[in-house]
Amino acid sequence: MLKDPHISRAFDRDLEAVQAMIMKMGGLVEAALSDAAKALDTQDEALAEQVRQSDKAIDELEEQVNAECARVIALRAPIATDLRTVLTVMKIASSLERCGDYAKNLAKRALVLGTMAPIPGAAGSIRRMARQVGLLLKDSLDAFVSRDAGLAAEVRLRDQEVDQMYNALFREFLTHMMEDTRNITACMHLHFIAKNIERVGDHATGIAEQVIYLTTGAMPDTDRPKAALASGDE
Amino acid sequence: MKDQRLETRVDTQTIKISAQKAQVYYGTNHAIKDVDVEIMDKTVTAFIGPSGCGKSTFLRCLNRMNDTIPSCRVEGKILLEGEDIYDARVDPVQLRARIGMVFQKPNPFPKSIYDNVAYGPKIHGLTRNKAELDEIVESCLRKAALWNEVKDRLAAPGTGLSGGQQQRLCIARAIATSPEVLLMDEPCSALDPIATAQVEELIDELRSQFSVVIVTHSMQQAARVSQRTAFFHLGHLVEFGETGQIFTNPQDPRTESYISGRIG
Repeated sequence: MLKDPHISRAFDRDLEAVQAMIMKMGGLVEAALSDAAKALDTQDEALAEQVRQSDKAIDELEEQVNAECARVIALRAPIATDLRTVLTVMKIASSLERCGDYAKNLAKRALVLGTMAPIPGAAGSIRRMARQVGLLLKDSLDAFVSRDAGLAAEVRLRDQEVDQMYNALFREFLTHMMEDTRNITACMHLHFIAKNIERVGDHATGIAEQVIYLTTGAMPDTDRPKAALASGDE
Repeated sequence: MKDQRLETRVDTQTIKISAQKAQVYYGTNHAIKDVDVEIMDKTVTAFIGPSGCGKSTFLRCLNRMNDTIPSCRVEGKILLEGEDIYDARVDPVQLRARIGMVFQKPNPFPKSIYDNVAYGPKIHGLTRNKAELDEIVESCLRKAALWNEVKDRLAAPGTGLSGGQQQRLCIARAIATSPEVLLMDEPCSALDPIATAQVEELIDELRSQFSVVIVTHSMQQAARVSQRTAFFHLGHLVEFGETGQIFTNPQDPRTESYISGRIG
């Protein structure tokens, strides 16, 4: 994970420990997102409840990462790549914590949607989108572990596919709502879910940008291509 | 957004000292190789690098302290405001009044506190009477943050002060001749954290008047006090740049390895 070892081996152990926490967080978030989407698709209440409970572990890991990073800064005064590693780790932890919240929210809405008439095809589309975004998240974290700026740059570009999926879902839900006003409540929930998954994609992009900062020392300056959003926001 | 960054400001773009292809030999040992460096006026420049990398040797070239070492030979050009300091017409004693120096270990003269500071102005004839000399002694001791501690015992020997006080006395002595450049060779290595903080604060104040070049083994000290940092390795100047950049994003892997405490 690291290049040359430090003369102080305890410093290496500290840095490796916080990065291991990030990978653990990442694993939990990927699982939460995929489980929540599966719970929605298969109407699995128990699984949805389990996702809601698992968010606590993600929040606790974020606090641990922050506490450890504060300790490393205070005791080791990291500089250069070490400093960028600590800064990056803190930002990634905060992104992953947000993603965990989105997964938890998805699980909550899955429970509510279970009580309503299903919108045909919606849960399947949401699940596909969640799978796509889960892959983005995984690749951004892989790029972090292997310090792979090339993979990170690719993740940045791939986020627009997620934006396009969100746009398609937005139009689909709008159509359902216009066709039958009794669909509005369910479609509003589904739309929030799609929007939140799209936000997870943005966090994956943010993590990829942090990896580029970590490896090159500068944030990427060129604007990444964005699909025009049908909802008109951003 | 660039103008909102917290970069420590370098106040002038005036070049005070410029070294061009500087070489130093101790006998057959080539200690400094092809060093090109520009020391800005009113700026603190830190020299860092592992022991034996040549940073102290190079610092000592800047006021010809190496003249006293018979086997030492300096080649290339070192210019103070465009004039070659190794020119035969330059008097090293006059040069050292313009480029003062503070050493690693405090080395006050075995004289009174007052005379330690007054010595330079006296031999260079910088004052016309006792009142002027008193004024210089007081203002230098004040600048060195020592006045309040010693004002009631100026006649006491300088060697009777504590280590930190002695080092500040040496700084007061070094600035008494109103130098244009102050060279400091690990000035805080024998000091406790409080005295170190006082000296660092002093360095920051001094840079409003002249340029300071400091050799330090403490990365954190270089980061705290300097605006520009030069990294030396095996007699080469590896990297020279804005201190914030050197410590967040060094361009040379050797700089990175050294400052982050890795085996290079």
